[in-house]
Amino acid sequence: MTTATASVPAVDAPPETQPVAWRHRHLLDVDGLGPAELELVMGTTDAMREVLARPIPKVPALRGTNVTILFYEASTRTRVSFEVAAKNLSCDVVNIAASASSVSKGESLVDTVRTIEALGAHMLVMRHGVSGAPYLAAEVFGGSVLNGGDGWHAHPSQALLDLYTLRSRLPGGSLEGRKVVILGDVLHSRVARSNVWSLTAMGADLWLCGPSTLLRGFDAWAARGAAGRRFTATSDPDEALRDADVVMALRIQRERMASGLLPSLREYAARYGLTQERLRRAKPDVVIMHPGPMNEGVEIAPDVAVDPRSVITDQVTNGVAVRMALLYLLAGARQRAGGGG
Amino acid sequence: MTAIGDIADGLTLRGWAIDPDAGREGPAEIVVTDGRLERVTWLDGADADGVGPDGTLIVPGLVDLHAHFREPGNEDAETVASGQAAAAHGGFTSVAVMPNTTPAIDEPGVAALVRAAAAASGSPVRVLVHGAVTAGRKGETLAPLGELADAGVAGFSDDGASVHRGAILGNALAYAGALGLPVIDHPEDPSLTDGAEASEGYVATVLGLKAWPVAAESGAVARAIDVLAGVVRDVPGARLHLTHVSTAASLAHVRGAKAAGLPVTCDVTPHHVALADEWIAGSRRWAWEAVADDGSPRDPWTDGALTADPFDPALRVNPPLRPASDAAACLEALVDGAADAIGTDHAPHTEVDKHVEFGWASNGISGIETALSTILAAVDAGRLPLARAVEAFTVGPARVLGERQGVRPGLREGEPADLVVVDRGATWTVTPASLRSRGKNSPLLGRELRGVVRLTLAGGRVAYEDAAS
Amino acid sequence: MTGRRIMAAEDVRRATTRISHEIVEKQAGTDGLVLVGIQRRGVPLAHRIAASILEHEGAHVPVGALDITFYRDDLSLVAQQPIVKGTQIPFDLNGRTVVLVDDVLYTGRTIRAAMDALIDFGRPQAIRLAVLVDRGHRELPIRADHVGKNVPTSREELVKVSLEETDGEDAVEIERLPVAAPAGGVVA
Repeated sequence: MTTATASVPAVDAPPETQPVAWRHRHLLDVDGLGPAELELVMGTTDAMREVLARPIPKVPALRGTNVTILFYEASTRTRVSFEVAAKNLSCDVVNIAASASSVSKGESLVDTVRTIEALGAHMLVMRHGVSGAPYLAAEVFGGSVLNGGDGWHAHPSQALLDLYTLRSRLPGGSLEGRKVVILGDVLHSRVARSNVWSLTAMGADLWLCGPSTLLRGFDAWAARGAAGRRFTATSDPDEALRDADVVMALRIQRERMASGLLPSLREYAARYGLTQERLRRAKPDVVIMHPGPMNEGVEIAPDVAVDPRSVITDQVTNGVAVRMALLYLLAGARQRAGGGG
Repeated sequence: MTAIGDIADGLTLRGWAIDPDAGREGPAEIVVTDGRLERVTWLDGADADGVGPDGTLIVPGLVDLHAHFREPGNEDAETVASGQAAAAHGGFTSVAVMPNTTPAIDEPGVAALVRAAAAASGSPVRVLVHGAVTAGRKGETLAPLGELADAGVAGFSDDGASVHRGAILGNALAYAGALGLPVIDHPEDPSLTDGAEASEGYVATVLGLKAWPVAAESGAVARAIDVLAGVVRDVPGARLHLTHVSTAASLAHVRGAKAAGLPVTCDVTPHHVALADEWIAGSRRWAWEAVADDGSPRDPWTDGALTADPFDPALRVNPPLRPASDAAACLEALVDGAADAIGTDHAPHTEVDKHVEFGWASNGISGIETALSTILAAVDAGRLPLARAVEAFTVGPARVLGERQGVRPGLREGEPADLVVVDRGATWTVTPASLRSRGKNSPLLGRELRGVVRLTLAGGRVAYEDAAS
Repeated sequence: MTGRRIMAAEDVRRATTRISHEIVEKQAGTDGLVLVGIQRRGVPLAHRIAASILEHEGAHVPVGALDITFYRDDLSLVAQQPIVKGTQIPFDLNGRTVVLVDDVLYTGRTIRAAMDALIDFGRPQAIRLAVLVDRGHRELPIRADHVGKNVPTSREELVKVSLEETDGEDAVEIERLPVAAPAGGVVA
């Protein structure tokens, strides 16, 4: 009951509020999130982890919220993670795989999004192979758009789950001054780009490392920094891994060979693959990450993937919690804005 | 109020006149009678009171070497008639259209179709037609250049693509040179631009857009110039015009070629002068405001320049918007004359082709109506002398076209009135409704621009008249 | 803004002690008894009741904390994002008698949300409710089993509970709501 004239109060007392309110209707990238907002996501994720630990890991928070998951690219991990997250919050979930819809009949993204909205969706989780596509969807969608990965551009929920995983693993829960290495096909990686923003925002000493063909342009970005926060780009894995606190290997795709960016997978594995031998340059308690899916034996050796220092399965679990937090925060912002019905 | 196509009569225009043909600029009074400039009086002393370069501007009708009117084949995007209306609204009285229509203008019949549409529209805006260099613009065999020349084409171009086989380019330069016509090349090495989305550099890296290398253009420019150098020894009439040149590297090659006395000319577009690649990230400042003191592009992520949403597909264009340093090089080329002309590369598109994912959007900006205001913004900012801007819009492109096209911009007594009256102090907001073009694909939508065209007279007739005036 | 003080620190202490006796009496002992405080002020109250039971019965009663944020049906009514304080129920609820503890009972909607939440943790044998203040104006068929003080109020008033643990002192005050109170203010 907040005012004398208020309508029926939902509960006896309004909840206390955070000093930092979530003000974004959409989550399209992490470049617009400051440290306080990142903290809010992390704190909300903590609460979601607690929900996940309950006997029934499901709460009615977003009952009546319709979530449509629209994926134009094949994905199991991220799609299922979003679906589980939405269901844990009691959302109603509709899944659309591009190949199974009128998308394959040539319907435009704008028309598809309008149709999804007309069918009652409040939130749209989308993945698209073209950088920036979620911005077009957000332009026409009346609810909230959550970017599940666009082209090479951004993968905000992955960056946030990486951040959450690191904070829960690193002593003191802080990334400040920690040497974090992202190793592999940086050029084509939306995971790397989003992590540039979030990891530097949290004070990490970020290093991007990969073959020079897969690192084009990043030297210049590193020198300017992400909104001025400098990082390092190098094609020398030994220098990158020296005394690293964290190393994240990125998936390498076979198409890179066909387009002449790499001579062979064998050569890549020999020079940049994350092996136990190479890991010896890092700190003994280095945290090992991979956004998945892995090519074991190429960018990461099988014994490294299952090493006790690997948090790869934690990343998956935390992914659900982070996505619950994001859906919850966006739903609150959307409802406060009075949008999306 | 007169109607479009009426003979201009009984008009007395007073303002700051620029006649780049005569090299004269100043307060003037122009009397138009029965479609002709009856009297051009340059004013001085008390007569010139209240007339300055920041008020009413009277200049010859603008000339565009490079526009796409989409007819035949894609009339949803533009017709010759809507293109003429857009041109007149932008102050243009002569427009050369590119032959990448469907079918391509690679035979006299298609050229005749375009001319007939222009004549039937009732608009006095003169439409010149470029013929294709190669049959079907496929880059394999020469189009019937002689027949096209007989049909009156203004030049030859496979625009939208380069003439990527060097041998074909050389043959085209030689054959067209003998016919007295230029080859207008769109310099692009397609082996470097497959799937490319944004100019290589900081912005493309950060946004995860596939890089469009500078070398794709500058390499093609260098090759075309070298091919020309060989041809011109045998065919002195050979002429190469490089269109929408967009990088400092390309312009360096052009400068070198000009210094060597080669018959090469080039144009730059208003958008490559005034917009930088950072617009794709959401910046909306002019390119010259995006250059640091040391000439390098500033960082829009640190200096608060990102004010719009990123990835506006209206910004997808070929060649791509370049880093602000390249835009500065284009502007510099306009200032010093290394760029002979401003070509609008007016490229209207439908929503179906343009309101899509950035990387899938058709290339092009609907720009013929905003060209003058955009370039005047550079003048207002003190980056470009007004007289140079007018030259690059008028006599510059006319020289590229050559005398046989009969495009002779100037303010000469006794000749048909072909001029534009611009209110430099007034502003207009670019909206879909404000654009006469069917293509609403302008990245300037919503922006207020200075410089309002009040009146456009083409060939003695009214092409456009502002309702407010 | 200070209001009319209706309970001082000593009143709060006596009320909690009495509630602790009533709880044990009703349960005929402490077997199977657990306390769950509703975030935020219900939690310290639950700990005080447990301490009191330990003092007079010599028995340790487990105390949990319940955050009902995710069970609220008013996400759209709050002006800002709610704090998610977390739930800790480190014991099995099956077959237990759960006493929910909160500071103020008003419309009953918090308790409705809390019972929904509790039931997701297991199947208690019984759920009871203890509150420091019952101010009336119920909107759901819910009543408290143990009440520190019944306080008649009007809807234009708010009941403000302060506790040492959260607010630095123990007190209950009644304040007159401003006609247009800012949304999201702390209202107990």
